[in-house]
Amino acid sequence: MVSTVRNPEAKQKDAQRALVVALTCQELFHLGGAEVSSSEPYAPGVAFPLLQAMQVVNERLLELNPEETLLFDVVLLAADCQQHQDRIIATTRHYGLDVSRFCFCSRDEFTHLLLRERTHLFLCTDARQVATASHTGVAAALLQPAPSRPTQQLRVLFCTDPADRPGTSQQVCQVAGLLGAMRSRLGVACGALSIILLTVQGGRESCGRALLTLRSWGLGVDEAYCLAGAPGGPALSLLAPHILFPDGSALQA
Amino acid sequence: MSDMKPNEAPEGDENGEEKDWAAAKAFFENLKTNKPRPPKPRYAVTIAVSSRTLFNMVAERKIYEEDGMEKYVAYQVEHENEPLKPGAAFPFVKALMTVNARLRELYPDSEELFDIVLMTNNHAQVGVRLINSINHYDLTIERFCMTGGQSPIGYLKAYMTNLYLSKDSEKVTEAIEEGIAAATMFMPETEIKLSDTQLRVAFDGDAVLFSDESEIIVKQHGLDTFFEHEREFENKPLAQGPLKCFLEALGKLQRKFYAKNERMNCPIRTFLVTARSAASSGARVLKTLRSWGLEIDEALFLAGAPKGPLLEKIKPHIFFDDQMFHIEGAKELGTIAAHVPYGIGQKYHRGKLIEQPAKDK
Repeated sequence: MVSTVRNPEAKQKDAQRALVVALTCQELFHLGGAEVSSSEPYAPGVAFPLLQAMQVVNERLLELNPEETLLFDVVLLAADCQQHQDRIIATTRHYGLDVSRFCFCSRDEFTHLLLRERTHLFLCTDARQVATASHTGVAAALLQPAPSRPTQQLRVLFCTDPADRPGTSQQVCQVAGLLGAMRSRLGVACGALSIILLTVQGGRESCGRALLTLRSWGLGVDEAYCLAGAPGGPALSLLAPHILFPDGSALQA
Repeated sequence: MSDMKPNEAPEGDENGEEKDWAAAKAFFENLKTNKPRPPKPRYAVTIAVSSRTLFNMVAERKIYEEDGMEKYVAYQVEHENEPLKPGAAFPFVKALMTVNARLRELYPDSEELFDIVLMTNNHAQVGVRLINSINHYDLTIERFCMTGGQSPIGYLKAYMTNLYLSKDSEKVTEAIEEGIAAATMFMPETEIKLSDTQLRVAFDGDAVLFSDESEIIVKQHGLDTFFEHEREFENKPLAQGPLKCFLEALGKLQRKFYAKNERMNCPIRTFLVTARSAASSGARVLKTLRSWGLEIDEALFLAGAPKGPLLEKIKPHIFFDDQMFHIEGAKELGTIAAHVPYGIGQKYHRGKLIEQPAKDK
């Protein structure tokens, strides 16, 4: 049973023109262990800083052009959360979050819902869910846990190194194009959005090629790091991205 | 300050580190080209150079300062297939590559090599031109950080940098404060032909290899007190300065050549160029180096004479000094000079105390 509820408090985006991002309810808020009857707003979850950063990007875009339609359009997916429905909506309103709509469904309808909502990008901390979505034809990336130093800037990281299983590059190419268009509207000097490229295993040639591939997809990279085998851990913790695209095999084409 | 690298990975991170390293090693070994693969960072002597020290970007910098970021990036992208001209650190980098080639001949499986990293604030779109330029000169630079405006200090620390060279004195000062050997590079006014078979590095003594403790005495109490003090404390080693660990790293590589009977043909040569005089204050310096177990190939005591003419004869690929007066003298006569912004020397210009604005307590 799928039900879609619009958020009356949020300004609805033009879904044809916006960049539709799907988040899971379980990651935006801390739902676990809460009493069903309570009416207190849920505590923020791991996706909260990401959503706030996306909102800042939207604000900047609208400052530059109040008629802007290329904005982040956030859809909140809630699988098996029907009993929490009212409280989820109330919590979203409590924090004034820019979530356009809520989709309540059961777990097995999840991926179908992603496609139905024409999701450009599904974000989740669970690598398996990310892989499943990719295989279904929806671009997906890893949502990273909150960094130790909080930042207002939305940081999106592309990793060039091939993952174990290649994902579908066409969807990533499309998302990259949309992100790129957003990035160029904001202008090089704007600090609200940063596109980062990380090459862990390859060297200069790999990184250079990936920079040009992303550029050919319409996405200009702001920061590039090439490790050529130096440990990836320290770099990743310094870079502190919100979103991580793990599979780079397409970028080596 | 700037301790030599620990030989073990931090707890819990060994698997990740080994995995990244093994994959990279396999990656490079599978490449069709004969490119030498980059060394394992833990064992290498890591030299980080900024884009403006590696390449001459004076004209481009002007565009950035006068016309802003957008125009600057657009200009760089438009010209990205035109290689940049060499900058102040270029000869030094080429010399490091020469040493690496010799080390690889003698020790084909060793990771104890120079690792040259490009560490720049530049935007990654400018990076394409930087990569193209590196390709053009066939420099062995496989690692880089293009931070798009963020401070590079965190990355310098994370990658155990042994020496950082930049045109930006603020970043250099920050690095020194974090315990990383660093210096601000200056392009010489004329060009000298440098050795292409031997890396030659010259160091000032006080406030570069050693702390500024003795220099403080000169500035505050004059030369006579300084001479007396140095004689009295001749046998007490001076405290270490910001570049001591870099000299140590060079010494370690030199010994690898000595071990293979290559002392006469060693591709690294180090020089001490100090205003101290051999007769009075020089002994303390040599005894300090000995107490640290460090060798320096040539020690030149100038007893206050200008350094420029002597450096012109030495022809180092880089000369480190803490006083701008000596940097300027070196530059004039064609030596590539690098300023170390450390110690009491920063508060003086040509012997006079620079008036500092009153600080709120």
